[in-house]
Amino acid sequence: MELIDREDHQKLYLQLYEILKKKIESSEWAIGSQIPTEEELCKLFNVSRATVRTAVLELVRQGYLKRQQGKGTFIFRNMISEGLTMLTSLRELFFEEDLHFSTNVLARTVMMPVDDMDIRLNIEKDKHIIYIKRMRFIENEPVLLQETYIPYHISPLLLEDDIENNTLFDLFEKKYGIKITKVKNYIEITHLAKDEARLLSLTEGAFAVLLTQYFYSGETLVMYTRSIKRTDRFKFLMELERKSA
Amino acid sequence: MSNGKVVKDVMIGIFEYPHVPYWFSISQAVRIVKVSFLSAKKYPDPMAVLVFDEKYNLMGTLTLKDILKGLEPRFLKPSEKAQVPAEDETALSLIWDTLFDKSTKDLGEKPVSEIMSSAKYFVEPGDPVTKAAYLMLQHDLVLLPVLEDKKKFVGLVRMIEVFDTISDAVLKE
Repeated sequence: MELIDREDHQKLYLQLYEILKKKIESSEWAIGSQIPTEEELCKLFNVSRATVRTAVLELVRQGYLKRQQGKGTFIFRNMISEGLTMLTSLRELFFEEDLHFSTNVLARTVMMPVDDMDIRLNIEKDKHIIYIKRMRFIENEPVLLQETYIPYHISPLLLEDDIENNTLFDLFEKKYGIKITKVKNYIEITHLAKDEARLLSLTEGAFAVLLTQYFYSGETLVMYTRSIKRTDRFKFLMELERKSA
Repeated sequence: MSNGKVVKDVMIGIFEYPHVPYWFSISQAVRIVKVSFLSAKKYPDPMAVLVFDEKYNLMGTLTLKDILKGLEPRFLKPSEKAQVPAEDETALSLIWDTLFDKSTKDLGEKPVSEIMSSAKYFVEPGDPVTKAAYLMLQHDLVLLPVLEDKKKFVGLVRMIEVFDTISDAVLKE
């Protein structure tokens, strides 16, 4: 079994991430199977719980693993397609750019990171976050529920901006000069929780599209967004082109 | 008695304290207290969390005492047993064992809005420190919010700064 090399200067969690990724890609850990618990992985690789947690969360974020509340962490898929360049412009990747949307701001407040939000936003656990929850309507029908998390220090004035009539994208780029240079998108089908279902006028447990987005300016993660959209209103265009060898 | 000092001279910034929305659970608040104060070895006086509504208006404060009281049902509904006279040592030892037992974990799922101390009293930045002192003493407050134009939450007054200001006036020759 491959072990952590403590002479290696690469961070321990990155080493562990690579080791676990290999196990998944080589199918040593089969799709659908449960991975060892955090405690078992700590013992197996002689590393701290924080190291295991960070490596596992990165694999969750990359889509290799999936966490199931109260059950454990499971292998979700064993490869991520690479080598395709997305031509779709950044603006088109925003659901919020649909001109027909009307917006209702359900919440705009400040909170501390809970669960894994500090890791998702790459901030310390004791740093404040701006939290925005918006409901999008088309012709008075609720279609999109969007929750946005922004490290407070990135843009404190967002707390006072008009976010019903301006997109966060525009505020970042035009008002604050924060240029979004990269967006990581993860799309999956999800089951609606009770509160989400109520807001989208659907039944609890119904299928919906979940888009998780990480927005970067250079190497800095400036925003994390979780958008839930009704499946009957879902249309997403991606134009892909393979890079020439 | 306040040496002409006003609230804005002594107030501290609101980001000195962790923020949570009212729908966070007590357990989530406990984790935040642990991370922000205990693990970070930061022990401000008082140790508290600020509770906000969905429009970022201050709703209340949550001290360590509020949290612990919220985790023990006997504090929520005072019962005969919780008020056993001090001399009844046998009964007391039994009660100690039953405090903060398994129901504490269930209570941890309750929202913080149910156990916070509501923010009912405020001062303006230009108010004299003596007004802050009066409100804090009269209503037994550990933190007093400072609102600008009765709306924007801009700071907090703590007892330590109030004491410092008043004591300067007392000691002044």
